[in-house]
Amino acid sequence: MANLILRDLVKTYDKTEVLHSINLEVEDGEFVVFVGPSGCGKSTTLRMIAGLEEITSGVIEIDGRVVNNLEPKDRDIAMVFQNYAIYPHMSVRKNIGFGLRSSNAPKPEKEKRIEEVATLLGMNDLLDRKPSQLSGGQRQRVAIGRAMVRDPAVFLFDEPLSNLDAQLRTQMRLEIKKLHQRVGSTIVFVTHDQVEAMTMADRIVIMKDGHIQQVGTPAEVYHAPANIFVATFIGAPAMNMIPGRVNGGGAVTLATGGTVQLGGALPEGRDIIIGIRPEDLLPGETPGVLRGEVNVREPLGHETLIYVGTSEGDVIAKADGRTPPEIGEVVSLGAHPDNIHVFDAATGEALA
Amino acid sequence: MFRWSDLTIRQKHIAWAWAFLAVPVLFYAVIRFYPTGNAILISFQDWNLLGSREWAGLDNYVKLFNDPEFWHVFRNTFVYLLLGTPISLVLSFVIAYHLDKLRFMHGFLRMLYFLPFMTSAVAMAWVWRWFYQPVPIGLFNNFLASFGIPQINFLNSTTNALPSVLAPAVWAGLGFQIIIFMAGLRAIPKSYYEAAKIDGVGWWTVLWEITIPLLKPTIVFIVVFSSIGFLRIFDHVFNMTTNNPGGPLNSTKPLVLMIYESAFSSFDMGYAAAQTVVLFVVLLAVSLLQLRILRDN
Repeated sequence: MANLILRDLVKTYDKTEVLHSINLEVEDGEFVVFVGPSGCGKSTTLRMIAGLEEITSGVIEIDGRVVNNLEPKDRDIAMVFQNYAIYPHMSVRKNIGFGLRSSNAPKPEKEKRIEEVATLLGMNDLLDRKPSQLSGGQRQRVAIGRAMVRDPAVFLFDEPLSNLDAQLRTQMRLEIKKLHQRVGSTIVFVTHDQVEAMTMADRIVIMKDGHIQQVGTPAEVYHAPANIFVATFIGAPAMNMIPGRVNGGGAVTLATGGTVQLGGALPEGRDIIIGIRPEDLLPGETPGVLRGEVNVREPLGHETLIYVGTSEGDVIAKADGRTPPEIGEVVSLGAHPDNIHVFDAATGEALA
Repeated sequence: MFRWSDLTIRQKHIAWAWAFLAVPVLFYAVIRFYPTGNAILISFQDWNLLGSREWAGLDNYVKLFNDPEFWHVFRNTFVYLLLGTPISLVLSFVIAYHLDKLRFMHGFLRMLYFLPFMTSAVAMAWVWRWFYQPVPIGLFNNFLASFGIPQINFLNSTTNALPSVLAPAVWAGLGFQIIIFMAGLRAIPKSYYEAAKIDGVGWWTVLWEITIPLLKPTIVFIVVFSSIGFLRIFDHVFNMTTNNPGGPLNSTKPLVLMIYESAFSSFDMGYAAAQTVVLFVVLLAVSLLQLRILRDN
């Protein structure tokens, strides 16, 4: 177990810089999830930590040791791959044992270690099977087992759940989280799925175009997004974004003339974008922000999402699950001032 | 009355399938299956190509069994197989393995290796014949002579002739096998190697425990394919020893050349057919054996 530090990490392919000065400190035993759209550099960062990609510049430290020029095997890490990378011609036992091949431990000790890991993952009776005889979730567990058997300082997961179906993904999510609670190792987990990030992480690192957008606990990134990208990336359906301009006394004039009274000291005359999550935008709530006609309803049982065509464009709001407004009905939508986020229109950064 | 529209979808599919299959099936029946059956029949007969066929029973097979030349040729054929297949397998794997890792001039080098496969065997055999000539003509002997190394009798020695004929045959097939091996290597997911790298195993272990086991289907294909090729070797031998086909003293003669001579020099069609049947059985047995051994579970 160990902490992990990334300092000014840069990656360049030919002349294109794909990662721009990444700085991050992962505490010992922390579960950190990298999330972002494809091509944001999250997998590249992970592969650089693993030693599978060269570092162009910057420093990676694992447990206080600079590992920049160490081979993957000497970094005291283990990795779980998206396609599991378990060898189809080897039994589960051999696959898990493959992680111990380079260790000098005596054979009985290795056998014992394999059994221990198998017990922990609940797959003792599968040890002599071939991967082709296993289900997707079981293969996933073998891949995790192979990583665990080495007892590494840091576990790296590269989108390990994306090949599983939705139900299994939920189940494995829980299993990995439980495993982390039990063994307490440092984990860096890469995913493009914000639900995975929210449910598993101690801290989330949100990336876009090779930059870190925000680092924070799931609650922080959800309730206090640092910028428009984070605000729309985290949470489904995405946050409603409405352009406006600040008037005196915390009042905001929307593009089409409506006014919203917001607390706090906002710089007068600034173009802003206000963001309201669909679950915070409710019919009849005060202060009212928008008015419009209900175009579409999506009943989800406990609530109904309504798509409302307003003068500011289409927005999504939450209505009661039992008695939602009818299609065509004109509703007035409002949100509690605490639940209204304000972003700078030019930079996209959150304004306090 | 029969109406097309009364057929079920499945019946229509079958009708269409047979409509398209009819031509190749007919072709195969006339060009392949009929001659095969006929050859088996002729192997029990005496026929000089012009006269009438006469029933000979097992005479041709008895003659074959007692013919020392046949056993010599049979042995030669297996020497071609047992040397050619492993040598070409190992060579093509080693080349493909390294070519796969190479980025610099990758396409050019691949083309260079593939070129011999596209070259006519006759042209190639004659070029190699020239390579093998004594000083001052032959390339190899000139090269040896320039270092003061004694001449090697490549094609005129009973011990050297067979390997000398085999070399261009191996070389000719190499390009194809390299391409197949490279396709096989490409099909192995990169993450298998990355996982091994993280686990810290050496390249030797990676080669023997990951690459080669995962290449098994490719290896089976190449072994069976090249074995059939070496068991049927003819053109290289015939063109490199035209003055004395299969010589010197039958030391390079393979079974197919003996069949050719029995049929078209001695006009003993029954005897040639009997040899053909034996070759067919050998090919079948060797292929089935290899498939069984190599294709476990």
